[in-house]
Amino acid sequence: MSGSGISASLLLRVAAMSVICVFLQIGVVSEVPVFGITVDLSPLLVAFVGLLCGSMIGAVAGFAVGLLVDLALVQTLGVTSLIFTLIGYWSGRLRELRDPQAALTPLLVGASAAAVALVGYSLIEFMLGVDAPVSLELLRQIVLGVVVSSIVALPLWAIVRRILEGALPEDPRRRRRRRAYTTGGLSPLSRA
Amino acid sequence: MYDKTVRRRRAVLVLLVVLSLLLLTAYFGEAPGGRLHAVQRGFLTVVSPIQDGANKALKPVRDLFGGIGDTFHAKSQRNQLLKQVGKLRRELVADQSEKRTYRQLLGIYHLDQLGINSYHPVTATVVAKSPNIWYSTVTIDKGEGAGLHVNDPVINGEGLVGKVTQVASDGAQVDLITDSRMGVSARIGTGNATGIIQPKVGDPNDLLLQYLPANTPAVAGEYVVTSGTVSSPDDSLYPPGIPIGQVTSVNEESAYRSVNVRPMANLHNLDVVQVLTTSSGTRATKLAGLAATLPPGHGAASSGASGEQLASTGAGG
Repeated sequence: MSGSGISASLLLRVAAMSVICVFLQIGVVSEVPVFGITVDLSPLLVAFVGLLCGSMIGAVAGFAVGLLVDLALVQTLGVTSLIFTLIGYWSGRLRELRDPQAALTPLLVGASAAAVALVGYSLIEFMLGVDAPVSLELLRQIVLGVVVSSIVALPLWAIVRRILEGALPEDPRRRRRRRAYTTGGLSPLSRA
Repeated sequence: MYDKTVRRRRAVLVLLVVLSLLLLTAYFGEAPGGRLHAVQRGFLTVVSPIQDGANKALKPVRDLFGGIGDTFHAKSQRNQLLKQVGKLRRELVADQSEKRTYRQLLGIYHLDQLGINSYHPVTATVVAKSPNIWYSTVTIDKGEGAGLHVNDPVINGEGLVGKVTQVASDGAQVDLITDSRMGVSARIGTGNATGIIQPKVGDPNDLLLQYLPANTPAVAGEYVVTSGTVSSPDDSLYPPGIPIGQVTSVNEESAYRSVNVRPMANLHNLDVVQVLTTSSGTRATKLAGLAATLPPGHGAASSGASGEQLASTGAGG
C-alpha cells in the first residue's frame, strides 16, 4: 500500500472491472432495451468507483473508461472521457466532503451520473454541430434514461462494492466514527 | 501534507480535463485518415476478435432478456401484421400485371442482371452496439479482409440498416440510419421526386424524409425506398429500391414537403447484416445509377423487384 492509501490490488480491481463492464455494455446490455431505452452502465460504474475510492481514482477511472468507450465504439475521442472524468471526480468529492451513509445514496448518485452523462453528451454534440433535426423525444429519452439507470443503480452498486471491498483505502472519517461506537469514547452513555 | 494532497488532486483533474479537450479538438479537426482515427482503427482490429468471442459466449444471456422484451411486443405486432397482410394481398394482385411489364422493360434496358447478388453481399454478425442516443452505431465482425470498404451500404432482410464508416482488418463500424450523421437519398415508392432521409435525434423510431417538392404525393402507409442517387461525391451509393421505412405522417411546408417515416429494419435487435461490397465505378453501381434514371413507373417497379431480390438473398437471418 502506498502513502496515499491506493494499493495495486485496488487499481487492478478497478481496471479489470472497467474493462469487463465496457465489453459487457457494448456486447450485451446495449442490445437489450428496457422500456425502449438502452441502459448505460459505464457512467454508473465510474460514479460508484469515485464514491468508494475517492476523487482522484474516480477521475482517473472516468477518463480511462471514457477513452475505452470512445475507442471501442469509434466515437469522437475525448467526449466520453471528459464527461466521465467529471462524474468520477465529483462523486469522489461527495464521499470526501459528506461521506453519505444513507441506503438510497447510490441510487441518487447513479441517477445524477446518468443525467450528467446524457445531458453532457447532448450539450457537447450541440456545440460540435448537429446536421440532423433534433426531436423533442430526446428530452423523454433523457428522463427515461435517468429513471432506468436508477433502477439498475442499486444492484450495480452492490456488485461494485463487493468487488472493491477488500482493497479500499481506510477512510480516517469512517475510522473515527467506528472507533467512537466500538470504544464508547464519544457515546453519550459513557458520560453517564 | 493536506495542501499537497489537495494540489495533487486538482492537478490530476485539470490534467485529465485538458487531455480530454485536446483529444476532442484534435480528433474533430483531423481528416478520417488522420493519426487518431488510425489509432481507433488499430484498436478496433485488436478488440474485434475479443468482441466476437464475447458476443458468441454471451448470446444466450442476450437472447433470454431480448426474448422477454419481445414477448411483450408480440401481441400488438400480431394485430398490426394481420391488418398489413390483408392490405398487401390486395396490392399483390394489382401488382401482378405491372410486374410482367417491368420484367420486359428490364430486359430492354439490360438491367435484368441487377440484383443484390451483383453487389457481392458479405454476411456479418453484429458484435457490439453503442448505448448512446447520439451515436447509433454497431460493430460487425467482418472488415477489409472480407472486402469491405468505407461507405459500403449495409442491409438486412427487412431493409436498409446503414453504411460502413470505419474499416479494420477483422471488423468494421457501421453507422445506422438513425445515427445523427446519416443522410440517405430516398423517394416514396411510386413517385419520382427524391429527398434526403435523416434521423430525428432522440427518436429512434422516426426518420424524416426532407426536401421533397411541395407537390409530391405522399400518403401514410406508403413505402420509402433508396433512390439510388447520391447528394455529394462522398456519399454512399445505395442500390435503388432498398426499403427504408413506411410513411407515418406528412408535414405541409411552404417550399418543400417532408414526411415522417418509421424504419422497416428493427435496429434494436440486429444480429446478422449484409454489406454490399461493390465499390463505385463497377458494373453493378453503373447499372444501379442507370436504373435510378428510369421514369417514375419503372422506378416503382424497380423498387418492388429489389425488395424481392433482397428477400431472396435470405439476408438478415
